[in-house]
Amino acid sequence: MTNRRIVFLLGTAALACPATRAAAQDSPTPVPILASQDLSELSIEELAQLPVRSASKREEPLSGAPTALFVITNGDIAYSAANSLPEALRLAPNLNVQQVNGREYAISARGFNSVETSNKLLVLIDGRSVYSPLHSGVFWDLRTPMLEDVAQIEVISGPGGTLYGPNAVNGVISIASRDASETIGALVRGTVGTFEQSAAARYGFALGGAGAMRLYANWFNFDDHPMASLGPAARDGYHGWRAGFRGDFPTAGNHFTIQGDIYENDVESLPGDGSRGGNLLGRWRRDISANSAFQLQGYYDYSERRFLLTLDSLETFDLEAQLNLRFGAHDLVLGGGLRTTRDEFINNLNGFQLNPPRRRLWTYNAFVQDRFALTTTLSLIAGVKAEQTSFTGLQLLPNLRLAWQPDPRTLLWAAVSRAVRSPSRIDRQLEFLPLLATSNFQSERLIAFEAGYRGQPIARTTLSISAFFNRYDDIRTTEFQPGGGLPIQLMNGLEGHTYGFEAWSTTQLATWLRLNLGVSGIWKRFQEKPGHADLARRDALGHDPNLQLFARAEINPVDRLRLTIGVRRIGALNDQVGAPAINGYVEADANLTYRLSDALELFAAGNNLLHDTHLESNDTGRARLAQRSVYFGTRVRF
Amino acid sequence: MLALALLLGPGPARAQPSEEAVKAAFLPRFARYVTWPGPFLPGPGAPFQLCVIGRDPFARLLDQAAARELIDGHGVVVRRMPSADGSQGCHLAFVQGAAAPDTASLLAALRRRPVLTITDARAGPHRGVIHFVIADGRVRFFIDDAAAAERGLSISSRLLALAVGVRQRR
Repeated sequence: MTNRRIVFLLGTAALACPATRAAAQDSPTPVPILASQDLSELSIEELAQLPVRSASKREEPLSGAPTALFVITNGDIAYSAANSLPEALRLAPNLNVQQVNGREYAISARGFNSVETSNKLLVLIDGRSVYSPLHSGVFWDLRTPMLEDVAQIEVISGPGGTLYGPNAVNGVISIASRDASETIGALVRGTVGTFEQSAAARYGFALGGAGAMRLYANWFNFDDHPMASLGPAARDGYHGWRAGFRGDFPTAGNHFTIQGDIYENDVESLPGDGSRGGNLLGRWRRDISANSAFQLQGYYDYSERRFLLTLDSLETFDLEAQLNLRFGAHDLVLGGGLRTTRDEFINNLNGFQLNPPRRRLWTYNAFVQDRFALTTTLSLIAGVKAEQTSFTGLQLLPNLRLAWQPDPRTLLWAAVSRAVRSPSRIDRQLEFLPLLATSNFQSERLIAFEAGYRGQPIARTTLSISAFFNRYDDIRTTEFQPGGGLPIQLMNGLEGHTYGFEAWSTTQLATWLRLNLGVSGIWKRFQEKPGHADLARRDALGHDPNLQLFARAEINPVDRLRLTIGVRRIGALNDQVGAPAINGYVEADANLTYRLSDALELFAAGNNLLHDTHLESNDTGRARLAQRSVYFGTRVRF
Repeated sequence: MLALALLLGPGPARAQPSEEAVKAAFLPRFARYVTWPGPFLPGPGAPFQLCVIGRDPFARLLDQAAARELIDGHGVVVRRMPSADGSQGCHLAFVQGAAAPDTASLLAALRRRPVLTITDARAGPHRGVIHFVIADGRVRFFIDDAAAAERGLSISSRLLALAVGVRQRR
């Protein structure tokens, strides 16, 4: 059969199809010109070779998910100026993305943003949790997927409900790569720019009948960023590579996925600085019956970071199972997970140590959720998650949601949820004797009230609006001993609330023009609880702009040409706690892609086009200037 | 594959058809490359029945494509139905539920009947005999020839050669 296929492909290309019907048509070009969508004249082989305009995910029927959910599609990324995962996340109006320096980003939903305090977010890459138990934050410089193979990124602001695992307090970012069957063929990409270069290649092929496999490798380099007046002198240039595979194997009623990556990055700060790691994941989904399905997933992940005389390594094993059952008006999901991490933290730079420096931690969680149709338009979603870690007792996290879908174009929802951020290693076991001692830090707690609308209020326009009121308790403080003496300890001394909103819309103004608008706002009110005084001056609250505005035009004047222009206005960081205030900024990015042929694509893209440099973070220990950056690239598919 | 890429080269600007239009063009065409067991073939002059069960992402596109198809004197008519009830007489069935699990239950209802079931990867992981995927910006498909064999269907090698992957009959 392989021979047949090769013969056919060559045959189609030269238009000497062996089959009678195709041979009867004498078309002068390899693929006939199509004035309209009249495809009936084409042979079945020609149909299979016809490049198609992909349907946008956003044109699909509204998802019934009653959360503040924004979806970044593969196409959104391809036609943006994003050249890394954190830059792609700027497309989500419900996130605040701060480029801190060449390799570090602070990313958060609904407040608490900075490298050290954005610790209330769950980030999943193909089901693999990537927040670090060291500080419950995400090291974005370890996450360098090949963006062409990312299927979509779901960004949820808010606790995200019962179904997501630990640490989904203020938001969930779930990055899903494409099924291997969707990446058949070869793709090569290269980019060259003023301060950055990249190269990537992927090859996907059918394997074992129904299965498919892809292999990929990528390489990138980001040069040093200019020094900021408030920031450090250490160099921040960063380069690295990543390689991996994904195989998907469906059989009757089963679907097996196996995937893995290895990577290595170097940072210019000191010789030997950088990170490396790898992971291996297996997933088995079984359709037990038409109304029930079972999924089992396990992974292993290892990462190691060296930076300025500190070494941090982490090994994770994780096993999760989930069962979906439907009966009558009920849609039931239950499951559980078990994760164990073994870490090591060695600091030769200063006196801050973890005690003990090596530790195995366990996290258990179990959940059950029922989506119950009260009437044909009204659903109640009730769930509870139980979570326990090596640092906490059993914590119950209930969640109640109401979804009203009076017509297919309108969804109104409201929710109340309880969420906790369990203590990290730093929260519990950071020590610098005799100044700082370990403590009995407890979970930070949240009760979130949310409501929202998602729908299609007028033709060709989709709109999503959400509002929230979050009540927090036991947020981290740094305090003297009762009575005022040393050592200081991390305590749970802050309480308060945040409120705000997010809204975004997409309007198809003309067949060639689409306009996306987004806005988000957050306000914070916190105080020390009676008997607590925070030496860190409420640093744990992070540094958030009150308002962010986004506009993005996708212009498609002729089929081969696509121009995307994005403008964002990010408010000042001036909450006056713990770090200097910095001004807000307005910046623009653009991508111009020209498809020379079905196999060859050229593009030019630029980030931060309006100013030479600007400052996005007030992190005095890390911040460098973000800078204007222009790059050119090409993608070849065959 | 390389030869193909080189030969395609820059061509005249042309409007790309939508994914749905190409899938709609494929659907009635499949009847040409499948053989049904004798008792299930349409009678003389009677059309093949192409059923859309569940969601219909094609609308008019499919009616237009089916209207132009004539296979050994048999036309192709499109029937639409919300569930598998009343799917007797369907030769081909494009199956898509409102959500992924619904697709599975629709497929289960058609199991072991001589119906060429067709599904779309965009709607979820559940697969019929033919499963549309987008590969390299083109509409392609997987073929489960083993499932076709269970249904008494025989798929021509010309169609099998077009699949990105084939689950072989045992």
